[in-house]
This record gives sequence, C-alpha cells and structure tokens, in this order.
Amino acid sequence: MARFRNKKNKPFVKPIVMKKQPNVDHITGDKIPKSFVFSRGKLPGSLRQLQSDLRKLMLPYTALKLREKKRNNLKDFLNVAGPMGVTHFLMLSKTQSAAYLRVARTPQGPTLTFKIHEYSLAVDVANSQLRPRCPQDLFKNPPLIVLSGFGNGDQHLKLTTVMFQNIFPAIDINTVKLSSCQRILLLNYNKDTKRIDFRHYSIRLQPVGVSRRLRKFVQNHQVPDLRNLQDVSDFVTKAGYGSESEGDDEAATVTLTSDLGRVNRASTRSAVKLQEIGPRMTLQLIKIEEGLCSGGVIFSEYGNADGKKKQNDQEEDIEEDGDGDEDTEEDGDEDSEDGGDVEKD
Amino acid sequence: MAEETHLSEPEKGPNKRRIGNKKSSKGKKKPRKTFRLPEEAGNFKPKKIDKKMKKLFRKRAREYNSDDETGDEDEHEPKSDDEEANGGHFSSEEEEAGEDGDDQGRQDLNADDGDSENEEDDTVQPGIMKFTEGCRAFRMAFKSIIKKSVQDDALGPVLSAHKKLVAEKLAEEETERKVNREAKKEKHLVAEKGHVKPLNYLDSHEKFLLGVATKGVVKLFNAVNKAQNAQKGLNPSRTKDAKVIKKRRKEAFFSELGKTPALADVTAAKGQTSSGHVEGEGPAWGPLCDNYMLTSSKLKDWDKKPDTIVADELGKVSEDSSSDDD
Repeated sequence: MARFRNKKNKPFVKPIVMKKQPNVDHITGDKIPKSFVFSRGKLPGSLRQLQSDLRKLMLPYTALKLREKKRNNLKDFLNVAGPMGVTHFLMLSKTQSAAYLRVARTPQGPTLTFKIHEYSLAVDVANSQLRPRCPQDLFKNPPLIVLSGFGNGDQHLKLTTVMFQNIFPAIDINTVKLSSCQRILLLNYNKDTKRIDFRHYSIRLQPVGVSRRLRKFVQNHQVPDLRNLQDVSDFVTKAGYGSESEGDDEAATVTLTSDLGRVNRASTRSAVKLQEIGPRMTLQLIKIEEGLCSGGVIFSEYGNADGKKKQNDQEEDIEEDGDGDEDTEEDGDEDSEDGGDVEKD
Repeated sequence: MAEETHLSEPEKGPNKRRIGNKKSSKGKKKPRKTFRLPEEAGNFKPKKIDKKMKKLFRKRAREYNSDDETGDEDEHEPKSDDEEANGGHFSSEEEEAGEDGDDQGRQDLNADDGDSENEEDDTVQPGIMKFTEGCRAFRMAFKSIIKKSVQDDALGPVLSAHKKLVAEKLAEEETERKVNREAKKEKHLVAEKGHVKPLNYLDSHEKFLLGVATKGVVKLFNAVNKAQNAQKGLNPSRTKDAKVIKKRRKEAFFSELGKTPALADVTAAKGQTSSGHVEGEGPAWGPLCDNYMLTSSKLKDWDKKPDTIVADELGKVSEDSSSDDD
C-alpha cells in the first residue's frame, strides 16, 4: 500500500530561481553591458580553459556556465542575447595556424577579430607565482579597464578602445565604492609590433609606513609569536625584516576617502599593489567587420579593405566574404564560414 | 643414469605414487597394467586380463588416438626417444627383482611378459603404455623441456609456424603505433600552439605593463578620492544638498581638468581629429557615428565635441585619462 501511496507523491523539483540581474545600473541609470563568451568550432583543451578563464574575467555580468552545443550557431546565441540583454559576444575559435578571439557587439554591432599570438591561462599564471592570490569576492564586481597606447589617432584603434570601454559597466567616480574595485584589465597597445597585451590583475591596497608585522597582525587575527621577544613593545618597535618593496615610490600610493577594510584607513596613505590573475594574451587586431561576423570589412590588417567591402555589398553572402578573405589567411575563411552557416540557417 | 635415478627415488619417498608401484601397497589397481607386484596381486590375473583387456585397451587407445589425428605424430616422437631408456629400465627392474629375493621364476615370467607386452605396445599400439613408462616418459620429456634453454625472444614461446606471422603482425603494430603517436603529437602541438607558460619572475615587459596598470589604478583612485571628498558630509537625497553637490562636483572636475592640461588637450585633440575624419569619410565610418554602441546617451556623442564630453562623461574620465597618457 505504502508503495502505491508513494507513487502519488511527486518528486520534489527544486524550483529554478532566476537570479534577476538588473539591466540598468540603479545609480547611474546606464544600461549594463552583458556578455557571452563561447566558442565557434571545436576547441582544444587549453583553449577551452582559456574560454572559462575569460568568462571568469567577464564576471559578474556574463554567463559563467553557458552550455553550448555543436549545432548551436550564431543565430541561436543572438536569439537568446536579445531577451537577456546581452550586449557583447566574445568568440574563440581555433585554426591550424592560430587561435582567434572575436569581440562583437550584438545585435548588429561591429566585430573585431583578434589573432591570439600567445596566451597563458590563469592556472599557468597562478603556478608561476609563489603566492597566488584569490580573495573570495574578487569576481563579484566588474573589473576596471585600462587602455593604454591606443591614442594615436587611428580609427580602428579608436573603435577598439570604445569597444573595450563599453564591454564593462561604466563607473561613476562620484558614487563608486573603492572596495568594489578589485580587478583591473589592462590592454596595452604596442605601436611597433601592433600587438595588444591583454593582462588581468587583482588590486590590493596596503597601508604605507606600517611595519610588516603589525600589518599582518591586523590582517590575520592571529596571535603573534612573541617567544623570542623580551617585551611586548619589541613587537611594535622592532623593525624586523620588512619586505623591501616597502619603500614604495610615491606614484603608487593613494589616499582613500573612506576606510577600505580594516587595514586601509581613510587617514593613511595606501600603496596600490597589483598581482596578476590570468589569463594573459597577446592579441593582434586583424579585421573589423561592420556586422556581426558578417558585413563589410572596415579594417583589415592584411590587404586593402575596400575591394572586399565592395564585394560584400554586391552579394551580401558570406561565401563572398570567404572569397574576399582568401588572401588574408586560411583562418579568415573558417571564421566567415561560421558566419555563413548562421546566415543560411 | 636411469638406474641411479630410479633407485634413489623410492628411498626418498616411498609414498609417492609414481614410485610406489614397486613396493607400496597402493598399487592394487595398477597390477593389471604393471604386473610387477606378484605378492599382492594374483599371479594369473594379469595373464587373463591380458587377452581380454588388452583388446579393450587397444580399442580405447585407438579411439583415443583417433580423436586427435594431428597430435599422433607428435606423440610418436617422444616414445621412440624413451625406448632406449625403457630398455635400461627393464634390465634394472630385473636386477632389482633378483636382489629382492622373491620367486625368481615368477618374477622373470612377469618381467618377460611385461617386456613382450611392452614391445607389442610399442610396435602395435602407440597409445598403450605402462604406467611407469608413461611416468618415466613424461619425466624425461619434462626434463628435456626444462633443460632446454629458450632464447630470449620478444615473441615468447610461439609455434614456429606462427612465428613469422606473429613477428610480422607485431612489427606492423609497432609501426602503426609509431605513426599514431606522431600524429597525436602533431595534433597536440597544433592544439597547444600559442600556449605559453609565464615566467616565474617579472621581466621588463611585464614590469612595464604592471607599472602602466598601477598608474591607471592610482589615477582612478585619486580621481575618485577627489570627487568624493567634495561631497563629503552631504546627503544627496536632500535637494538643497544635491545642488551643492552638483556645484562642487563641477568645480572639482574642472579643477582636475586644469591640473592635468595634458589630459584635456589629448581628449580635445582626439575629439577634433575623430570628428574631422568622420566628416571626411562619413558613410565609410558609419558604425562609429550611428548608435552601434551602447544606447546610453553618455556614450552616444563621444566624438562630437570636447565640451560635451567634458560635461557628460564624468564617469568615463578616469578611464580615458588612464588610457590616454601612459
């Protein structure tokens, strides 16, 4: 009997709680940009890792656990992007010659195609460090973005700047809380090599002029080891072997308006310390397209863009795009094929 | 050789089966075959059985042998080898019998019978064999196998006929594996292309980048500090305070601008150049002018006029500043 009765009981299904993320910043009223990071085509393991690293970097306004299938095409993502308010796509793809990162503005924004010359994963970076740092709330706030070296007047660079500035929510310096500034994304353009260094750092503030011992004591909540000391006052007065980077240059110190944590008081000066948290990439801008992975080519690193654009205007098909790209590189072909699939579907 | 081994064995372990056929009392069933224990088994029994049972044995043996035709030849060989040993064995048996001091005649008879029987067996029926002989033959065969030094071959003990085939197969497999390995390696190389493990220390380039980033952060923090210092102690929800805040913010911002003229210049220059370009190629640079960016009003007119930028883009200034001077 019990068995039958149990049959009536339906299994408990945990209701799916949709954590509503605001589309609009509640203070400034700006629209918050959101992003998808996904791959086009099959990626090898290390690049898949890079993809997850990028997702982490784009937190909190991104789909961390975006599940993609092989048959998903760009249109699928685009269809989802609309209702969810996703404004940017970051697409990773891989060819024989190199890996590629495409940054696109949805729904019809321009697409920047970067060639990834070198990359290191967050794991590699952490492994290379003696003490990798990852506080709990590191990824709870969007990173700041610093773009440097882009300002030499080239249009495509300007577009890149705007693109990356808008990929993260803008900060209002009147209302921003410095405690929410935990990470920084640095894009440094090198004029000579035409490559962009992509780095991701965590920001840490340390009070200046306090001995290391005291700082640790305040930070760690732990009873210090006083065995070797004659008097308690020794603990404070003794210099100890403070780290020599203590002698900070004045440039790296800031004065805070409000207390930040227990260590950094508003009255004291604090030193800004950055520590790298992956991923690390060396990018080269090779192509800018008008549409989302389609449309006229505004800028191309290889060859003149005008001829291609005309071709594309004549027949707005991706096959043509592929033809136009042939002289650039074989990878360009695959990229456009991806787009082509979407268009056909 | 054979004698010695045979003699020594019963002394060591009289209870063992293979040896016991001479003296042990176990051999109650065996006398049929062996005829060597006249004291226990009936003397005439073996002879009687001889005729009837021999046929039966032969028949059985034939049946048994007929099953494995291929094995026949193999079986013959060891037997012929053992025949020499058999001769010696029997002579020794006779001697022993003599020594034992049993009834000579009977023993001789039996021995003779055994011999004749044995001969018959050897010649006529390969399948029938005395138990001791079988044991002995097996022993010899086993010994010879054990003595044989097998060359250390990678293939291990394989029938010679198959040896070549197996070797070929193995070689083929090896080459296949090699090819596979290389293909895999190549694939892995392609997959890992561009993947670089960072160095343990900060090289000059990394240091430079770190410095740039630090500078950016410091700039932003200072700007934030300045902006938020201005509105300290005022409640933005009160309209009276809000006005003051607005005013102070503006002042603070302009003072900031005045302090860093380079920044202002750069932004201005940027705006002018970009606007000029846009006028020039208008449609070609369409996406820049159209609202392809975020629809926020603040960013919409980023390339219109420096003044509007200054007015609108309060939030962006820190980022711009960090981006423009490096």
